[in-house]
Amino acid sequence: MTSVGRLLTARLGISILVLLGVSMLIFAIARVIPGDPARIALGPNATHEQVDKLRADLHLNEPIWKQYGYFLHDLSQGELGQSLYTNRPVTTDIAQFLPATLELIIVAGVLMIGLGLPLGILAAKHQGGTIDNLVRIIALLGVSAPSFVWAVILMLLFAFYLPLFPIAGRIAVEFDVPTITGFLLVDTLLDGQIAAFVDALRHIALPAFALALSGIGQAARLTRANMAETYHSPYIEMARSYGFPEWRIARRYAFKPSLTPSLTIIGLDFAAMLGNAFLVEAIFAWPGLSRYGVAVILRKDLNAIVGTVLIISAAFLIANLVVDLLIALINPRIRYSRGRV
Amino acid sequence: MKQLARSILGAAALAAISTAVLAERVLRLDEVAVGELDPGKASDYADSILMFNVYDTLVLPRQGGPGHVPHLAETWEGSGSEYVFKLRSDVKFQSGHPMTADDVVFSLDRMQGLGQGLSFLFANVKSAQALDAHTVKFTLAEPYAPFISSLVRLPIVDKQLVMQNLGEGEGEMGDWGQSYLSDNSAGSGAYKVTAHNPQEETVMAKNSAYFLGVGEKAPDTVRLRYGLEAATVRTLIAQGEHDISSQWLPPEVKKALADDGNQLLTEGGTGSFYFKMNTQKAPLDDINCRLALANAFDYASVLKLIAVTDEISEGSATTGAITVGMFGSRPVGNELMRDVEAAKKHLEMCTYDPAEFAIEISWIAEVPLEERLALLLQANLSEVGINSTIKKIPWAAFAGMVGNPENTPNISQIFVTAVTGDPDTLLYGMYHSTKAGTWQSPEHLNDLEVDALLDEGRIGASDAAREAAYLALNDRLMTIAPSIYGFDSQAVFVARPGISVPALSDPAKAFGLDTMGFLFRLMEIE
Amino acid sequence: MRRAAHILFSRPLSIAGVVLIGTVILSALFADFIAPFPDHRGTVVDFTNFNQPPGWTNIMGTDLVGRDLFSRILYAFRLSLILGVVVLSIATPVGVAVGLAAGYLGGWVRFVLMRTTDVFLSIPPLVLAMSIMGVLEPTLFNGMIAVTAMWWPWYARLVFNITLVEREEGYVRAAEVIGASRVHILFVEILPNCVPAIITKMTLDLGFVILIASSLSFLGLGVQPPTPDLGSMVAEGARYLPDSWWLTVFPGLAILVAVFGFNLLGDALREILGADL
Repeated sequence: MTSVGRLLTARLGISILVLLGVSMLIFAIARVIPGDPARIALGPNATHEQVDKLRADLHLNEPIWKQYGYFLHDLSQGELGQSLYTNRPVTTDIAQFLPATLELIIVAGVLMIGLGLPLGILAAKHQGGTIDNLVRIIALLGVSAPSFVWAVILMLLFAFYLPLFPIAGRIAVEFDVPTITGFLLVDTLLDGQIAAFVDALRHIALPAFALALSGIGQAARLTRANMAETYHSPYIEMARSYGFPEWRIARRYAFKPSLTPSLTIIGLDFAAMLGNAFLVEAIFAWPGLSRYGVAVILRKDLNAIVGTVLIISAAFLIANLVVDLLIALINPRIRYSRGRV
Repeated sequence: MKQLARSILGAAALAAISTAVLAERVLRLDEVAVGELDPGKASDYADSILMFNVYDTLVLPRQGGPGHVPHLAETWEGSGSEYVFKLRSDVKFQSGHPMTADDVVFSLDRMQGLGQGLSFLFANVKSAQALDAHTVKFTLAEPYAPFISSLVRLPIVDKQLVMQNLGEGEGEMGDWGQSYLSDNSAGSGAYKVTAHNPQEETVMAKNSAYFLGVGEKAPDTVRLRYGLEAATVRTLIAQGEHDISSQWLPPEVKKALADDGNQLLTEGGTGSFYFKMNTQKAPLDDINCRLALANAFDYASVLKLIAVTDEISEGSATTGAITVGMFGSRPVGNELMRDVEAAKKHLEMCTYDPAEFAIEISWIAEVPLEERLALLLQANLSEVGINSTIKKIPWAAFAGMVGNPENTPNISQIFVTAVTGDPDTLLYGMYHSTKAGTWQSPEHLNDLEVDALLDEGRIGASDAAREAAYLALNDRLMTIAPSIYGFDSQAVFVARPGISVPALSDPAKAFGLDTMGFLFRLMEIE
Repeated sequence: MRRAAHILFSRPLSIAGVVLIGTVILSALFADFIAPFPDHRGTVVDFTNFNQPPGWTNIMGTDLVGRDLFSRILYAFRLSLILGVVVLSIATPVGVAVGLAAGYLGGWVRFVLMRTTDVFLSIPPLVLAMSIMGVLEPTLFNGMIAVTAMWWPWYARLVFNITLVEREEGYVRAAEVIGASRVHILFVEILPNCVPAIITKMTLDLGFVILIASSLSFLGLGVQPPTPDLGSMVAEGARYLPDSWWLTVFPGLAILVAVFGFNLLGDALREILGADL
């Protein structure tokens, strides 16, 4: 296990370095935004004195490297500054909005694996056949439209024409769910409210599916490609000649080796989902971090922009770290060869 | 598995029964912008809905006619620069503290101290003074004819509660309770805030101890939701899960909902829609160029664009620079018309070469209708040979850009309403040179004659004198055309059947003041 | 070459790809002749005929100011393709140069280049592009900059991985022994081995650039009206669902058709060129 430990330390170090780089990049981008954030925050009727005072409070008159210094100092205290959009600390905003987004992405991830892998296995078993081609078309279609187009189509079909699902929000207003974890699907259960849980599930179904669609396709294709390869390898042929049942060959000999690349793609798809959540949340009025992100970018709310991007990038890095670790655990040979530069 | 399914079904059935038994009256409405709860910062529609319901003011506009009626104040006297108000003694804040003259003084000081929102209305109030526990005297720096009407914008704040919750800041007043009031209510209003999530909704509950009492059929709980998409609102209303829409829904959506049997509520007569031209930047610093644009605009087509149904529209034809029905407006029958010949003539007299124009028409991202208005103007201009580009700007960014003429777009589209119902609050902020460069005044107009007439209008000793000043002002504004006076606006809301809002459906109950129709205590839910 | 043509045209899916892409490119090129109302891409409004459902004159209906949706979609294809081609023709050389240099030179050059690449790859692409568009004015040119900025790192990573393998190969070693210059080794010896992978990725990416660009304009960070743009059309139309469905469904399907075509084609190329992505 020490090698896994070493891998973890190395990757963690690099991740922190990268995160620092991200913060520098996004900080630089955010500061060159034209328009005076102090003026925007105070509104049109504020006096020049008020604007100047706020500018001073925000250190906006000092050179950018100094501002970055203040930012790092605050960050080390766990502070991300005040949002000019909500008038609250950015950390408060993120703590409130992040769970909704994570919940959406996690459910989408579950859908992606739960539907993508079986589809891939199915296609690999029927290589070249109708099912294979069908899966291929579904997979390609999934990645071929932006998630907002899928969101609109799903909404039109299953919320407007066939009102099976609610069209907006996380839960119906009549339910009063205490905030424990921030994940409604968990909190409703912890509070023992089955009806609320079902309602939350119905609310999340369409947005999560819209978000997962491109990932489902990718996961299916990758699983199919890798399983197709292993299906023709000598040891599978041997297993077959021993007369092992097909399902067992599929599960035990073909599936496990194909898991590694699938996990890698899941890590990458997580990034795509964090981005695409911006689009899906906009359509389904999902009160998450992405919606907040769009709002603060449009309002040039510097602290909030930096905070949001930083958190999203950190989530992405952590997800990839976890994926790398899983791969290392499943497949020891990869530990060294994957020691990326 | 089967058991789980059964328990889920059971719970769902139970939920259905319990909602039927409780029969709580819930009102669900929405606004595009995030509502600012601090009454000292309230300025737009969402803020005002919160303010008028959570806080009270000394006077209220009279329903169905001009003038004002007592509210927190029982009586008042005075004119010119001194006014004395006798307060009711039976009013308690939601905290239980009694309302006194001290609170009124504090509320004015706080408004002026913060200097945000609509505080400019009170810029020339020198002081408020508590003569006794229930008498308060206002002293103005100079006479201000619409002073009484401006008081509908002075919400009275619970001083004791705010003082107990002062945050850090400079001076003895700290942050004036800003951080507390941005999340909590400290008013005497008929509704109190129970939850406030700036990205989702504000939840309010009926204040049963309200000094005027609240009707039994008035909503028990109000949910003001923020930032819902038009398509979402459309479906929620159709499915009976939303009660009143914001006025910002596109006309087509309102029509579809009206066709489904929902009612249309209206609130109008207090403002207009303008294309505001930046008079400090070429080429629109030239009067003839501006007149060319004003004549090129198709005033008839725009009315088709904003029609909701055959009877109800989001606006009506305007007759000049002042909203029809207000002091100084030109009578009906003088509607503005497109005149391509005149436009071309003015364009020839313009000192700039039209071939080199690239006029920037901006529109506010939150108001989709404005994109279409921009496209209409762009098409109109191109027919007389003027090139233009269209630019979408989010509201917050727009409010920041207009600070100086350089950054202000050539043309900005704004709906302006008189925040107190008096023409002074419509026109002074738009056209007086000392007020240039706010969201209301992206014209950056600097015209001595306009300034003089505006001052005359606000000091005017009698209504007749004021009327004369505003008539002259109207003529002057038509001559120098700082804006294209698009149409007189009327806010149209969609409401589910079963919701009764007399102030928005019966002209005899209308307040003549923007947003006042949203007093929840006057609504009834069947 | 013949084998390539054989693979390309022996499978229905690849043929479909070629047909779709052909249609999209041709309609973009000849929009002026195909579009029933070519002037509707510009400053035209017609309030006597707005928000009309699909019919004989307007086969995809009219938009909210009375313009023919079909004509506007054809012109939007043109814009999308131009954007895709420009972005890739900037992002690819930059990414390839970075990848080659980092892969072959090693040492601190590799460290700096690949860490920078990692920084860009650690921000979800759309978030990065949005942040950049938040800074810049929303124009076509700036949109290209934003998308390019998020695209080059993927080429850098791809070429870097190939270079790592290739530099150990005999022919590279041989060239080094003869004393060939670094430039020669990088561009003449190693680069040709990356070409199949690059071409395949470019084909697939053309679709994805269109997709990302439409996402940006969906969020209001793309080109401004009256220029026709698929993403903005969907965003605007979405307000009028479900009544005016044509406003969203047709532009949405248009994006789907274009991207789907490039994906089918890229998929076929992957097999023909044996590129492993």
